[in-house]
Amino acid sequence: MNIFYHECKALGKSTFFWTISLVLVAIVFLSLFPAFSKDAEATKRLLEGFPKEILKAMGLSLEIFFSILGYYSFVFVYIVLCGSIQAMNFGLSVLSKEVRDKTADFLLTKPIKRYQIMTAKLSAVVASLLLTNIFYVLFAYITISLLTKTAMNNHVFLLISFSLLFVQLLFFSLGVLVSVVVPKIKSVLTYSLAIVFGFFILDLFNEIIGENLVRYLIPFKYFDSLYIMNHCSYEMPFVILAITVFVAFISVSYVIYGKKDFLC
Amino acid sequence: MSILEIKHLTKYYGKARGIIDVSFSVEEGEIFGFIGPNGAGKSTTIRTLLSLIYPTSGSATIFGKDSIRYSAEIKKEIGYLPSEVFYYDNMRAIDLLKYSASFYKKDCSQRIKELAEILDLDLRRKIDDMSGGNRKKVGIIQGLLHYPKLIILDEPTGGLDPLMQQKFFDLLRAENQKGCTILFSSHILGEVQKLCKRVAIIKDGKIIKLENIADLTENTYKRIKIEALYPVMESFFQIPGVNQLTIDGCSISFIFKGNINTVLKKIADTEVRNIVIEDPTLEEIFMHFYDKEAGGGK
Repeated sequence: MNIFYHECKALGKSTFFWTISLVLVAIVFLSLFPAFSKDAEATKRLLEGFPKEILKAMGLSLEIFFSILGYYSFVFVYIVLCGSIQAMNFGLSVLSKEVRDKTADFLLTKPIKRYQIMTAKLSAVVASLLLTNIFYVLFAYITISLLTKTAMNNHVFLLISFSLLFVQLLFFSLGVLVSVVVPKIKSVLTYSLAIVFGFFILDLFNEIIGENLVRYLIPFKYFDSLYIMNHCSYEMPFVILAITVFVAFISVSYVIYGKKDFLC
Repeated sequence: MSILEIKHLTKYYGKARGIIDVSFSVEEGEIFGFIGPNGAGKSTTIRTLLSLIYPTSGSATIFGKDSIRYSAEIKKEIGYLPSEVFYYDNMRAIDLLKYSASFYKKDCSQRIKELAEILDLDLRRKIDDMSGGNRKKVGIIQGLLHYPKLIILDEPTGGLDPLMQQKFFDLLRAENQKGCTILFSSHILGEVQKLCKRVAIIKDGKIIKLENIADLTENTYKRIKIEALYPVMESFFQIPGVNQLTIDGCSISFIFKGNINTVLKKIADTEVRNIVIEDPTLEEIFMHFYDKEAGGGK
């Protein structure tokens, strides 16, 4: 438990700033919605002039775009992007920072097993991501309620919003795996930006090409807002895939971390 | 009873040599020296004992238990001080020490206070703002606060001024008096001679000698430099025990191994302008003595 508290404390500040940032992005984007819906017709006509490929790449679908949830799901792409960077950062650094800051000698010579260290640390990150999500969803909900008079489908809103957590968990597990495989990560942010934007660009291309198989490789696409709005649920195969990937990445990380040599 | 027993421990980093077939044991209540030049494999051995790294082959037992399998259990009774101490940013010394203490199911607060007083350390200061010497003190307290039965020190004296080093050695002797076993690694022979009863000497990853310190001190090694008033004949200093003799006019330099009195008498017969007698570095000793013994093998 002591490691868990220590890690929570260490994560506190950055959790706070990431959460604030996500909330601010949501508020800024969402506050544009009234202006958008006011000029709905004009905007519709303007957008119709755009090439289809670009519209697709933007994740837009004209019919749903002017509903609040439709607009929200468009904004949400960028929320998930930011959230993924946060999760990737945390995943990459939670174990590797002990090596980088050379505190591994301190922690690993304590009377505790390596898997216990890892469990405490990973739990702290998950707790931090949970907090981020709870605050994000709360503020997003309040913002939307203040902006629109018509009621929205809360169930769909929650399904979309909490997919942030699941995508974050996926990137977090990938980050942990990368951090135990790569011998020494000098700059966490370089790695996390490269990996997350790599997936994001792949996602954009995939939107244009429309190749279905590639979807399985892109965590952003596991929880498709359009599907959620149409079916009021997640896509089961992708939920199973997400759980499998998460469990696999974390388990492999445990094995590698347990066998790792810590050189000075 | 052996507190620590190392059996044929070998570690390769890929193809690079770490240590090869290292074996020795440390008895209960002993201060055991582990010396060798930099890069000889001291840290590799120690890190393997603490299961920070895993051996390629061989094994070690601590308190009679396998050091890898029962690692967590064994570490309850081990205090470790690395050569360089690094701690979490933004923590005060007292926070770090309390965090460290929280891993042992004992009340250590009294001991922390006591040790801080002996070492003259202000615990309320942030570790970030501390000098290297003060950080080291935090490390020392961190290694001793839980009353360990075995203290493992990896080149611990770097960064400590002579006075503090003396206090540190006194502290170690006091712990030893109370029954604590100490494994002390160093590349400075003089340090080990002061503190230890037995030593293992490691070079190029292999143990080349296990010796009683008494045997080592009997053969004191001194580097002697003399500036004579008048040029000296080379044959004058060619007595048993003099090695690596160079004479350049009035400047004489050599390493002496043996009874120091014999060479002092020789020096007394010379008109001396200046004289320096110092401990040779371990590298020098290795180069001129152990090389032959380990390499020649006769």
